[in-house]
Amino acid sequence: MTTERSSSSSFNQAVLAAHRRTALPIAVYPGLALTGAKVSDIVTNAAAQVDTQAALRERYRTAFVLSAMDLSAEAEAFGCSIRLSETEVPTVTGRLVTDLEGANTLAIPEPGDKRTAVYLEAVRGLRRLSGNSFVLGGCIGPFSLAARLVGVSEAMELTVTAPDLMHAVIAKSAAFLTAYVRAFRAAGAAGVIMAEPAAGLLSPRALAAFSSAYVKELGESVADGHFALILHNCAAKLPHLAAILASGLRSFHFGAPMDIAAALATVPSDVVVCGNLDPAAVFCQSTPEQVRLATAELLGRTRPFLNFVISSGCDLPPGTTLETLDAFHHTVANEAPPLTWMEGA
Amino acid sequence: MPHLTLLHDAVLNGDATAAQASTQNALAAGREPVRLVHDYMMPAMAEVGRRFECGEYYVPELLLSARAMKAALAILRPLLATAGVPPAGRVIIGTVQGDLHDIGKNLVAAVLEGGGFEVTDLGTDVPPEAFLDGVRERRADIVALSALLTTTMPAMQATIAALERAGLRGQVKVLVGGAPLTKRFCDEIGADGYSDNAPGAARVARGLLAARGGAGRS
Repeated sequence: MTTERSSSSSFNQAVLAAHRRTALPIAVYPGLALTGAKVSDIVTNAAAQVDTQAALRERYRTAFVLSAMDLSAEAEAFGCSIRLSETEVPTVTGRLVTDLEGANTLAIPEPGDKRTAVYLEAVRGLRRLSGNSFVLGGCIGPFSLAARLVGVSEAMELTVTAPDLMHAVIAKSAAFLTAYVRAFRAAGAAGVIMAEPAAGLLSPRALAAFSSAYVKELGESVADGHFALILHNCAAKLPHLAAILASGLRSFHFGAPMDIAAALATVPSDVVVCGNLDPAAVFCQSTPEQVRLATAELLGRTRPFLNFVISSGCDLPPGTTLETLDAFHHTVANEAPPLTWMEGA
Repeated sequence: MPHLTLLHDAVLNGDATAAQASTQNALAAGREPVRLVHDYMMPAMAEVGRRFECGEYYVPELLLSARAMKAALAILRPLLATAGVPPAGRVIIGTVQGDLHDIGKNLVAAVLEGGGFEVTDLGTDVPPEAFLDGVRERRADIVALSALLTTTMPAMQATIAALERAGLRGQVKVLVGGAPLTKRFCDEIGADGYSDNAPGAARVARGLLAARGGAGRS
């Protein structure tokens, strides 16, 4: 499976110095098949989350270990209701903010409030067991968090009809996330994958105004030369790329809609781009052989780029089989040519 | 007819207030409701769909245009019914049982409504029985099923099976969509149509009804 490597001072440096193509599927929930835990255990119990990720790390010897992707924990900390399930990641229900007055009086929670404590504790636990692997935390992005607070459909319209309301909620979301990301860093994370999927539904101009401007400020306030803020957007397409790069970050993770080779050809060679095998169509609905073919095809298409990390385009959902994840890792380990050889090719 | 250009542009630009005002003005000037829909509003929504599919419009613009269309239709629908003008088709739409996500479903509902369909939105987490009730009560032509989660995709098949058990499957076309879906999955579960975007869903819906000879002809 993927080769384990020694620690490096930053995510980007580790990727760029690697001799083999780095694999970073966003995968925690598939590990439930190894531990017998339920999704509801993972999202409420740090120990269950660490055990699951440890089991995956043992199986694949990955260079990175991740806390679980759960884009409801931050909204719940703000006061949103959620629905928990044994088999599915939690979903935010209802709307917390409906007008500007509500936005202005919205209280900003503290990192560690409600289930955000689970994710910070999971990072501490992963740090203790991870040896020389990088530990990456996970959180939502400022626009996507604000969209959960006002309602996702409503947020789309409010960017046009009530931009002041959206900016007020996004500013509070970003303030919380800045503190939350710092708390991940203090817990020992080498970086955080920040998921901003709802921003990919906006026009590039709106994405720049309602997401990238806040991400840029957040990134600058948590930067220390070592810590990686990796911006994930699973809905973005190539026309969004310039607006996303305006965030000033140096690491990005894209979903299946992105033309990943074109994105790689656009970004500077020291900016890391991760992606983008379709989590549903490839990992959930394909045979292991089809996964192998899709993985090999992506490896081939991205072959000239040292700054590419092969990954799922989004979080692998519960129910993703280990057989497909095996096929992915096996293909990366055995069919990706050495990067040092590729460099001179 | 400047107010009619205004109506077209109000829908295109997603201005619900202007769409209602220009509709009222056009009616006051004696224009036929059906002509307003067919000659100005539906072409505007077609242009919205074109702009969405070519990347000039994004989700906010699509939702706002659909809202403007809906605002104008709220004035016109009673007049169309009185005049005996049928909708393009009757659609029951919902996010399937176990799934609370609604943006994809909302987009498709808005675009279908903008395309002249009568849409009954059952919301999210809709059990198969509620779809059956909806088909019976609204005499639906199309059942549109949405899912965002891979774990709730089987509920689509369960809903189709429920339609079959209830003897309703032959009366309706089943349209499916959602981020994790593929055409292959659509075919595997025996759905009639699939699209990966909202304007495409409206196009598929029209095609399905045209293929069977129009709305209300099971």
